[in-house]
Amino acid sequence: MTLMGAMRASPPSTIGGASIGLPSAVSEHRTTTRGVPLQLLGISKSFGSVQALRPMTQTIEGGEMLALLGPSGCGKTTTLRIIAGFETPDHGSVVIGTHDVTELPPNKRGLGMVFQSYSLFPHMTVGENVAFGLKMRGVSAAERTTRVREMLALVRLTQHEDRQIHQLSGGQQQRIALARALVTNPSTLLLDEPLGALDKNLRERMQFELREIQHRLGITSILVTHDQEEALTMSNRVAVMSDGQVVQVGRPTDVYERPRNRFVAEFLGTANIVAGTVTAQAAERCWRVALAGEPGASALVQSDTPLAPGNTILLAVRPERIEIGPVVAGTMQALIQDVVFRGSYFAYELCVPGQDAPFFAYSQNRKDIPADRRVGLGWQPDNAIVLEDAP
Amino acid sequence: MTAGIPVVDSDAKARPSRPYRLAGPSWVVPVLLFLGFFFVIPLGANILRSLQTGQAATNGPLFYYIKLLTDAYYGGIIAETLKVAVISTVLCLIVGYPVAYFMVRFAGRWNTVIVFLLIAPLLTSIIMRTFGWRVLLARRGALTTLLFDWGIIPRPINLADEPFAVYLGLVHVLAPFMILSITAVLQKVDVRLEESARVLGASAFGTFFRITLPLSLDGIATGCILVFVVTCGSFLTMLLLGGGKVTTLSLLIYQQFNVAQDVGFAAAMGNLLLIIGLICLALQAKFLRRSGGKS
Amino acid sequence: MTALATALPLRRRRRVRYGVIALALYVLLFLGFIAAPIVSVVAVSFSTASFIAFPIPGFSLRWYWRILEYRPFIDALIVSGQVAVLSTMFGTILGVPAALALARSRTTAAAIVSNLLLAPVTVPAIVLGLALLYFLSSLALGISFAALLIAHTVAGIPYIVRTVLSVYRSIPPDLEEAAAILGASRWQTLVHTTLPLVRPGVFAGGLFAILTSLDNLPLSFFFGSASTNTLPVVMLSYMENQFDPSIAAISTVQMLIAIVVLLIADRVYGIEKLTS
Ligand SMILES: Nc1ncnc2c1ncn2[C@@H]1O[C@H](COP(=O)(O)OP(=O)(O)OP(=O)(O)O)[C@@H](O)[C@H]1O
Ligand SMILES: [Mg+2]
Repeated sequence: MTLMGAMRASPPSTIGGASIGLPSAVSEHRTTTRGVPLQLLGISKSFGSVQALRPMTQTIEGGEMLALLGPSGCGKTTTLRIIAGFETPDHGSVVIGTHDVTELPPNKRGLGMVFQSYSLFPHMTVGENVAFGLKMRGVSAAERTTRVREMLALVRLTQHEDRQIHQLSGGQQQRIALARALVTNPSTLLLDEPLGALDKNLRERMQFELREIQHRLGITSILVTHDQEEALTMSNRVAVMSDGQVVQVGRPTDVYERPRNRFVAEFLGTANIVAGTVTAQAAERCWRVALAGEPGASALVQSDTPLAPGNTILLAVRPERIEIGPVVAGTMQALIQDVVFRGSYFAYELCVPGQDAPFFAYSQNRKDIPADRRVGLGWQPDNAIVLEDAP
Repeated sequence: MTAGIPVVDSDAKARPSRPYRLAGPSWVVPVLLFLGFFFVIPLGANILRSLQTGQAATNGPLFYYIKLLTDAYYGGIIAETLKVAVISTVLCLIVGYPVAYFMVRFAGRWNTVIVFLLIAPLLTSIIMRTFGWRVLLARRGALTTLLFDWGIIPRPINLADEPFAVYLGLVHVLAPFMILSITAVLQKVDVRLEESARVLGASAFGTFFRITLPLSLDGIATGCILVFVVTCGSFLTMLLLGGGKVTTLSLLIYQQFNVAQDVGFAAAMGNLLLIIGLICLALQAKFLRRSGGKS
Repeated sequence: MTALATALPLRRRRRVRYGVIALALYVLLFLGFIAAPIVSVVAVSFSTASFIAFPIPGFSLRWYWRILEYRPFIDALIVSGQVAVLSTMFGTILGVPAALALARSRTTAAAIVSNLLLAPVTVPAIVLGLALLYFLSSLALGISFAALLIAHTVAGIPYIVRTVLSVYRSIPPDLEEAAAILGASRWQTLVHTTLPLVRPGVFAGGLFAILTSLDNLPLSFFFGSASTNTLPVVMLSYMENQFDPSIAAISTVQMLIAIVVLLIADRVYGIEKLTS
């Protein structure tokens, strides 16, 4: 009775479609398609002379988790704060579901948010913290108790209800912050570097846990992070930002495998960048490229868009896609500077003649090649990424 | 190049920025009105009064100020005011600095106890503390009797009603403020600086005068200005312990107000006191800014 | 070699110790100096003699009975209490919202306003009292309880504003944002988040304002009349005529009241939180 009663009695959230009231194990049936989509329509923001955010248009599908990834100061937090209503965009609008919320104050937007420092209320117990949103909505005490228990069960902290905040560990605080954000059945969950304050091991555990809960509830989520691994692990799609702008959006694998430009290639993982001149078409969607810096060396490159012979282009190859072999005339050659054992692979630092930056190659081979050995480098044509930047 | 294509007309006027803030500027309005009406206007009116009423109306606006500064009697009182303030400031510094130094460097967990004992007198009225000195220093007071019994003084005399008693009373009230100002700064001075000076061969005294004292100058300045300003503004100690031998500007205002009511003159005296205080504050701001820039 | 290395600092430490002991004795002496007048007033208040004399001839509560019978003391004590509590209340109502609005604002206007709110504490009370008396007299409010209250409120505002400003600045703004995004209106955020968090500042500032008001003779004596005399004013005028232990007794009572106020504050809130 309590659960169904709770559902019926809870006042609807301000934003339509958000008041699906079963955040417990019972709500397994909720699927990722139930969330409410969120649209950013050309939002931009300047602080004085600093353009924190250039006009940005982005749709976050219902139930999707989108990661905003980028270096410090690129405008991730600003984007999130505009969505939350803490800042007004100079231009553009924020649409949740079908409602334009640009002019609404934060408390009327029906969102959930987890702050980097958790921002749990220090003067309240764990239970009071989680119940806060319900209390503000005028939910009755009895029902609050039930829903708080459900949320605490969801984050596996049921027995901590009466604890003080400072008695919790960082990871527990993080989970309480999540419970507090979810208890009101928000239409969208905003996460600003939610795991930034945790140590590495805990962070990895929490990544999966958070992901799992988000999946289960099917809540539309935006994750702000500057940790590329976190973005790749947790999100359905990644939006890489730079200088107040989204540079590339796509599924983690796509963005990783097909970075659009040098910035994305280097920000997401490691990339070996080499310039080259297109010499001729070698096969369908496949061109031969003379590599800069080493006369006579060339490689095959696959590209969906035609490449004009004579053009210089910039290539990126992931370290794990580089194949180390014997020196063969006409291919790229390198001197092994250093080998590091990284557990599941060997990481080679390579000195390539004519290249300023060292190359990196990861090899899964059991046996490493000693340093100071000359080797030949190669890659499958479809593993060379043609970047948009001019070399 | 970007995924975002602006769908809005970028020529449209920017939406005004309204960041979320709990408290808006309007929350300041009531107190501004209140202080504007009951603080700024009265002080302003006081200035006008000193320039326009009584003899100032007939003898020129600066009449009272000129009288205060040039008249031998009043000039003497201003000099006395400054003298008392300077002496009590120096006394507080000399008496208080060792206490502050001890609290920060050696007191350890006793520090809280000492702080408490320094603040506790705030629970008593100034009248009580001043009266206490009379109890100790009067002809048959506790201290006088003791000194007589020990043969230090030949016969019981009244030690209250002397400038000496005024300084005693002032130091008693103000030394704690000096001490707390100094400890606040001394606490931030890195002990390792002193230690490294010692390791480098400086003597204890050398270390103190070359390292510790200069680094605590900020606290000393704050404390001195505080003591100076408060001394200038107080009259109770002079009234109760001075026996008429110490007349300062505030005491004069008090007496003038009680005896003869020359409104314009009283206002001018008050403003002079205010000006002294403002000069001190300006000095403090300047001093703190300078030393802040250095560090 | 090692023996020498350990012996050296040891010797130095011993020499320093003597200095520290001397310094500690001096601090004890100083604390005795601070306590002496207060202790002697309390002692004298229990004297049987009708003048101040040591050693005290005998102990009695005679002077406490005397102050109970002397109406002006009791009336003034009541006035003092009312003024202290009411002026602190008004100061809180006026000062806390302003401090909240100013604390996070970095504009020049905010800096100027903050300084204005803190300014009354830097004006000598005797000057403020004089100026206010003349001004309020022109409003036909001259010597009245209202005038006394206004004066003490002006003097109390800086204490409250100062502590609330500093406490509020130390509270991260995202706590309020968290409340807002959880659905709290401005008012709810204020009541459920901000005020509980700045309460230590309000308490400490309020306590300072009350204690200062109780002892603010220079401000109070301008507004003195039979019905608006505060305790220090009555005590002063009493002392100008008589020099008997009843002043000691009323002083002791006043001190006890202050201690009780502090203990209540401690009960309600906790001293550690107030001083930190
Ligand atoms: N309230 C503000 N006032 C002025 N400038 C601001 C403000 N907030 C952000 N900025 C500026 O806007 C830019 C974007 O800031 P933002 O906080 O969005 O970056 P971020 O991507 O979240 O960075 P980080 O990873 O360091 O958190 C920065 O240059 C920052 O200095
Ligand atoms: Mg950020």
